Amino acid sequence: MRSLIRFLLKYKTLFFFLFLEILSLVMIVNYNQFQRVHFLSSSNIVVGSLYNLTSKVSNYLSLSSVNQALVEENAELKFQNEKLNFQLDRMRYDTSYVKRNDFAEDKHFIFRTARVVHSFTNMKNNYLTIDKGECDGIQKGMGVINEKGVVGIVCDVSCHFSVVIPILNSRARINAKITGKSNVGTVLWTGHDVRYAKLKEVPQYIPVELGDTVKSSANTAVFPEDVMIGTITEIERLNNDFYLIDVKLSVDFSNIKYVDVIEFRHKDELEQLERKEDSK
Amino acid sequence: MNGALKYGLLFIGLLLLQVLILNNILFLGFINPYLYIYFILILPSSVNKDITLLLGFCLGLMVDIFCGSIGCHAFATTLLAYLKPHFQKVFGPREDYETVTPSFRTFGMKEFLQYTIILVFIHQLAYFFAEAFTFTGFFQTLLKAICCAIFTILFIYIIEKLKYKR
Repeated sequence: MRSLIRFLLKYKTLFFFLFLEILSLVMIVNYNQFQRVHFLSSSNIVVGSLYNLTSKVSNYLSLSSVNQALVEENAELKFQNEKLNFQLDRMRYDTSYVKRNDFAEDKHFIFRTARVVHSFTNMKNNYLTIDKGECDGIQKGMGVINEKGVVGIVCDVSCHFSVVIPILNSRARINAKITGKSNVGTVLWTGHDVRYAKLKEVPQYIPVELGDTVKSSANTAVFPEDVMIGTITEIERLNNDFYLIDVKLSVDFSNIKYVDVIEFRHKDELEQLERKEDSK
Repeated sequence: MNGALKYGLLFIGLLLLQVLILNNILFLGFINPYLYIYFILILPSSVNKDITLLLGFCLGLMVDIFCGSIGCHAFATTLLAYLKPHFQKVFGPREDYETVTPSFRTFGMKEFLQYTIILVFIHQLAYFFAEAFTFTGFFQTLLKAICCAIFTILFIYIIEKLKYKR
């Protein structure tokens, strides 16, 4: 017994070392399972507030580029406004047109703008932290976009902050389609380059060309239909009858300041209805 | 006590520098200096080995919490803290080993650089493989580790140079 204790004492540094290494490996593995330890995530209050403070400073410094983006968005909105005004004028003459489009009055999607408090883009599994949380009506599984296109999906919420899994996370899977085609594929990220993602599961009988745009599909009720994801830059034919397509992402993840979180108002209703059909 | 306070401030300072500034450099899209390990590298040899380990683990975990990569930095930095006293014995001065603080002056420039290069490379390899948690894409992970290690070593070199400028 005494020699055992002597042995343990002699190698206590080694044992301590092994204990700490095993502890960190356990943390890595558990974290990878997506069961995020809440107090260790960046939605916790200390880390969240510190990042909040620094992002305020950096937001101030990047005001000019934000301004530029706003000007562009403003121009886009003005253009849309003109178009809508034109349509409205036409509808005044054709009253039946308004009737037919009555259901469009009912808004399916609610948008909430949030500031990106912190983002990681240099790892294999990246995250964004935003400054809106459960108290602002944000829930797990909501889609996140910005003015350029699809950003990601909310994966964790606290009262005032949420964590978003962007496309740049090896676990993100986003349903997408190629403009003009009805088939649906999956956009995922293989790591390494923050500007490109892969589009998989598109069958080879559909013609695909370089420069085609990839947009979100309406299949999952997370994103509205036709939100930009990116453009096709490389096409590879696999021998299992599917394409492997490189997509240049439209969102610049290294410089992302504001995002819109999308709530699909009738999600529960839709899911219930579909489940009822399934069980029949 | 004065020494403990100094190293405490250094710990917090390097941690904040790392998570608030250096993690956002992203040179060429993925290269960051991981300067926080400088704290472990220059711990005096009079610090108990167990305490060095604990400090390494805590520092790594703190960086992890900010980076959302729980466990990866802690794993690599604990390894670094374990190996540090051994390499210090190899490269450090033979006499008064008990009280030496690693630096250009005490080790000599060549020895200190060798000591830094080996430990930083080990740390970066451990970190990037812990993060990838797979050996697929081995060479891409290796490339990342090497680029970041070079960047880190460069930063440490500059800091050491500046320290003895005055």
